[in-house]
Amino acid sequence: MIDRPHAVATDPGKCIGCVACSQACPTKAIRVRNDLAAIDDELCIDCGTCIEACAYDAIRPRTSSPADLRKFKYTVAVPSLTLYAQFGDDVLPGRVLHGLRQLGFDETYDISWMCEMVASATDAFLSESKGPWPKISVTCPAVVRLIQIRYPDLIPNLVPIETPRELAAKLRRRRLAAERGLDPSEIGMFFITPCTAIIHSIESPEGLEASYLDGAFAITDVYGQLLKAIKHDPGSDSTEMISPRGLRWAMAGGEISSMRNANTITVRGLRDVVYVFDRIESGTFQGLDFIEAYICPGGCVGGQLTVAGRYLAQRNIRQLARRMGDQGAVKEEKVRSLLRDHFFDIESEIRARQVRPLARDLRQAIALKREKDALLEHLPRKDCAACGAPDCETLADDIVRGNAKLADCVFVRLEELEGKPALQQGGDDA
Amino acid sequence: MNADEPTTPRDEPLEPHPAEGEVLYKETFRIIGNDFEHGGEAAARVKAILKQLAFPTDAIRRLSIANFEAEMNVIMYADDAEMELAVLPDAVRVTFADHGQGIPDIAWAMQEGNSTATPEMRARGFGAGLGLPNIKRNSDEFSISSIVSVGTTLCYVVYVNGSNRGAQ
Ligand code: SF4
Ligand code: SF4
Repeated sequence: MIDRPHAVATDPGKCIGCVACSQACPTKAIRVRNDLAAIDDELCIDCGTCIEACAYDAIRPRTSSPADLRKFKYTVAVPSLTLYAQFGDDVLPGRVLHGLRQLGFDETYDISWMCEMVASATDAFLSESKGPWPKISVTCPAVVRLIQIRYPDLIPNLVPIETPRELAAKLRRRRLAAERGLDPSEIGMFFITPCTAIIHSIESPEGLEASYLDGAFAITDVYGQLLKAIKHDPGSDSTEMISPRGLRWAMAGGEISSMRNANTITVRGLRDVVYVFDRIESGTFQGLDFIEAYICPGGCVGGQLTVAGRYLAQRNIRQLARRMGDQGAVKEEKVRSLLRDHFFDIESEIRARQVRPLARDLRQAIALKREKDALLEHLPRKDCAACGAPDCETLADDIVRGNAKLADCVFVRLEELEGKPALQQGGDDA
Repeated sequence: MNADEPTTPRDEPLEPHPAEGEVLYKETFRIIGNDFEHGGEAAARVKAILKQLAFPTDAIRRLSIANFEAEMNVIMYADDAEMELAVLPDAVRVTFADHGQGIPDIAWAMQEGNSTATPEMRARGFGAGLGLPNIKRNSDEFSISSIVSVGTTLCYVVYVNGSNRGAQ
């Protein structure tokens, strides 16, 4: 089942075992054992919440390193639109792209126009689709992962259109190989990412056999150098290709704002995503055509690996789109012809990754469930997380699965010290 | 009991048990009328339980739709209700016994599109006019009885399709 490393990793040298990450993790994927946070690969959705929760900088994204660039004959930086939003009004995208090249990439490739194309393609798909409704965007990989592990019934609701970043990389790689007489594998395409979810989607993509991207650098990691390069060299690359309308994809609401269909909503932040998905699973929300959902509260401008912060970044993007004229740059016939060629289609099925039930056998599972309920009666319900599990219920779950013991609970140990039997059911041999 | 007219309310709330078999697991939930704030919580808890017990997703999906619908029915129309979840070896049975206004004409309420949900309720996403027929459509067995001004008892069963259990 576990086919790939996750995009987050704990540094044993920095982690002090404080449990902040474990309590913050929305899928309860973290256990702290022996003062070290361990991430359960099956449960992690790479949302990056733990990175933000850690005050010791002990959880880091697994990004590419400059050495990775040297593996390729020709390298391309594909920046997330969020990168443009990290700077004030005096630094327009042309300068960002120009600066990025100074960091060691042979070229840069903007994806805003591809965002606009995908919005049109989504409109076309929605007008022909027969349901199930509402359709859900696949833009945020953490949302896709959440659906796979927690809402497998919603997989048929996912829009089977590849993300702009992958499509842009696919197209550019193809053209570059032809133009420069290179083998596609000699071209290295690197995403400049706002988040860990996208890093993981490159490592082990859904809907694709292999990503068209070769790696990712975090915006936080390139920012300092980029700023220096921009200040040092006032040059600017061409922004002819940039679609002001596509730029809006960086913020929550941007995807639907560039679509024609208005029977749509935007859902922001994990809590709201869970709320809405629970309800779709129960058969409500069916009157909607399309849902754009982001794990990050403000959309990608609020990714954990960004510098400006979501409020300023949102303002910057809006300002930028307006200054650049706010219109589209894509011809509809172009979209239609690419649609006919199935250019936008996802290439492989997105499958459920159901998280382990208590047991495969019903009777056994029920027995374990009873055991778990009984244990829970004896746990203090303070959800203090001192045991290493994020809350009492998760500890009970870990115990019945054989991954923890009751004595891991500090309250239980205290009661034992004070001579009170913690568990009555043990009988004489307790 | 009036066996001659199946749709007329019975004198006593009946105890329907369409699916027979050993009850392996039972849990009850209390649902309070007008408690929109917690609407859908019982259905969500049942879903979480069945996932832990390795029920196939299709069975969980159908049952969850029915549960949510039935739970919202109580919240919208009844004073309160007890929801009982019973896990059988190859089925899940849910029984809702509510106290409330009851349903005067079950045959009418069972027709697609008939719902007494107010426009406000619909605007909030509840009672899309599907109600009881939607519960019936998503379950394998279904029975209902109601006494006006006393309450309604609703029971439905979703089979897990034994041979599919545990399959990928
Ligand atoms: S990335 Fe998200 S899901 Fe994964 S361990 Fe961190 S907080 Fe949990
Ligand atoms: S909302 Fe955007 S930045 Fe946040 S996890 Fe999803 S794709 Fe990444």
